[in-house]
Amino acid sequence: MNLRVDSMSGHHKKEKLLMNILWELQDRHGYISEHMLKQVSVDQDIPIARLWGVVKFYSMFRTEPQGKHTIEVCGSPSCVLNDGTALVEFLKKETGVGKLGGTSKDGLFTLYKVSCIGCCDGAPAMLVDGKAHTKLTTERAKEILGKFKGKR
Amino acid sequence: MQILRETRLEALEKAQKLGADAVLELLEKRGLEGRGGAAFSTARKWKTCKSAPADERFVVCNADEGEPGTFKDKFVMKHNAETMIEGMLICAYVIGAKRCYIYLRGEYEYLRKRLLEQIDDVVKRSGVDVTIEIVRGAGAYVCGERTALVQSIMGYRGNPQYSPPNITTCGLWGKPTVVNNVETLTCAAQAILFDDWDPKIRLFSISGNVTKPDVYELPLGVKMSSIIDIAKPKNKLKAMSFGCFGGIMPVDPEMAVTPDTICVEKCQHGAYSVILIDETNNVVDIAISIASFYAYESCGKCTPCREGTIRILDLLKKVKRGEAVPKDLDTLRELAAHVNDTSLCGLGQSAGNHVLTSLLHFRKDYEAYMKGGAGERAGENPQKRQ
Repeated sequence: MNLRVDSMSGHHKKEKLLMNILWELQDRHGYISEHMLKQVSVDQDIPIARLWGVVKFYSMFRTEPQGKHTIEVCGSPSCVLNDGTALVEFLKKETGVGKLGGTSKDGLFTLYKVSCIGCCDGAPAMLVDGKAHTKLTTERAKEILGKFKGKR
Repeated sequence: MQILRETRLEALEKAQKLGADAVLELLEKRGLEGRGGAAFSTARKWKTCKSAPADERFVVCNADEGEPGTFKDKFVMKHNAETMIEGMLICAYVIGAKRCYIYLRGEYEYLRKRLLEQIDDVVKRSGVDVTIEIVRGAGAYVCGERTALVQSIMGYRGNPQYSPPNITTCGLWGKPTVVNNVETLTCAAQAILFDDWDPKIRLFSISGNVTKPDVYELPLGVKMSSIIDIAKPKNKLKAMSFGCFGGIMPVDPEMAVTPDTICVEKCQHGAYSVILIDETNNVVDIAISIASFYAYESCGKCTPCREGTIRILDLLKKVKRGEAVPKDLDTLRELAAHVNDTSLCGLGQSAGNHVLTSLLHFRKDYEAYMKGGAGERAGENPQKRQ
C-alpha cells in the first residue's frame, strides 16, 4: 500500500497535524495514554491501531507516566569521545533511576540515552526537560541535578 | 560568514520582480546545490516541482538534522532564521505554494518558540499569502530522509518509501512538494540577492577530541590539515569520521575535502560534519557508539537493516569483551556489506560503513581487544588450550 496516494483524500479534513496533536497531549500530561489516544481516534477519525503505531515509532513519545524531569543524555560519538560514557554512568547513579529508561523511586527523574542531540560542539551534553546543558563534567551535572532536587 | 548575511526580504522582492522562471535561471547560474547531503541542484528540484501538474504544492524545510556530529542547521536557525524563512517564501513563490512546513526535530524544541515569532514576523512583513507551520519531530533520525519526513508530516510512521514516485512530483498528500534543507533555503535567498555569493562555501561542523569544536565556514577542497589547525586537537589524531555514514577513516592531512574524497564508495556527500578522534581512543569504542546509533535508529522496514544493525552491535561488543575470534571479524565484514547492499534508504545503505572502514584501516585496534581478552584467558589456563 502506498500511503502517499492512500492519504490524499484525507487532506484538508484535519485542522491540525497528528504529530503536533500528540506533542500537545504529551506537553500537557507528560505522556500519552490509551485513553487519550481513544479520544484522538474519535476526534481525528483515525483508527486507534494506526495511532499506536505512530506513537510507538517515535522514541520521544512516552506511553507511561514519567518522572517530574526527563533527562536525555547524548550517546553520539562526539560525546563518547569527551567522556560521555562516564557521564551516563554518573547520571544513572546520581538520579537513582536504576536503568536507562527508568524513573527514580522519588519520581523526580526519568533518564534516557539518546542518539544525538546536536550539541557536539558542547560535548558531552544532555537535555533536561528539553533544555540543553553542554560541556558537562560530573560536577556540573551534579550541580544541575541538585537544582531540580532542591526545587521539590 | 556568508551564511549569516541577512537578506531582509530584499531577496523575496527581487525574486518577485524577476519572476519565477528568471529566479530558476539565476539559481542554476549561481550553482546552488542541496546542503542536506545529496547535493542535488536546487534549481532543478524547484523546476520539476513547479512543472508537475497539480492544484496545490508544498514547501518543506527539513530541520530534522540528526546525523551525529552535525549541528550546522541549529547554528543557522539560531543566528539567521529570518533568511531561511525568506528562502521558504521565495520557494513558495517560485513553485506556487500556499502552505509551507518546517519539520523541526524534537531535540531542538528549545528553538521553536523564537522560530514561531520569527515566522509570524517575516510572513507578516512580506505581505504574501503563505502559511508556514512548524511540525514537531519526535526523535526519529530516519525522518530526515525526505520520503520518511513526508510520511511523518502526514501523521504516519516515518518509514522511507519507494521512489518513484518522487517527492518532488508526488509528496505531501500526493501533491508536488519541495523538501529542502535549512542551509539550502537560507543559501537560496542569499544566492538570489547577492552577486558575490560563493557556491563553494560549506558549513563544517567540527567536533570530537578537539579544543575548538564549532561550526566553521570553509571552501570545498579545503585541506584536512587546515581543518585540524582550526580545530586544535588535544592530542595526536588517529582517525576521523565524516558523520556516522562516512565511516572511520585514518587522518590524512593532505586530503582535500570534496564530495569525492568524503565518499568511501557510493555513499552520499553528507553535510560536512567532521568528528576527529585522537590516539587515546580505541576505534572499536567509536564503532560501538556508531553501531548503537544505527541499531537504535533503524526504522525496522528492511530486515537486513533492522536485524543486521543489532547483530553488528552484538559482534562489536563481543570484540570489546575480548571474546571474539578472527572469524567474527570476517562475519562482521560480511554482515556490514550485506546490510549496505540490501537496504532501501540512506540509513541502511550506510549502516555498515563504520565497520567496513574501521576493519580495513584499524584492524590492530580490533586485535588489541581480542588479544587483551582472549590472550589473558589463554594464559590463565594454557593446558586446557592444548
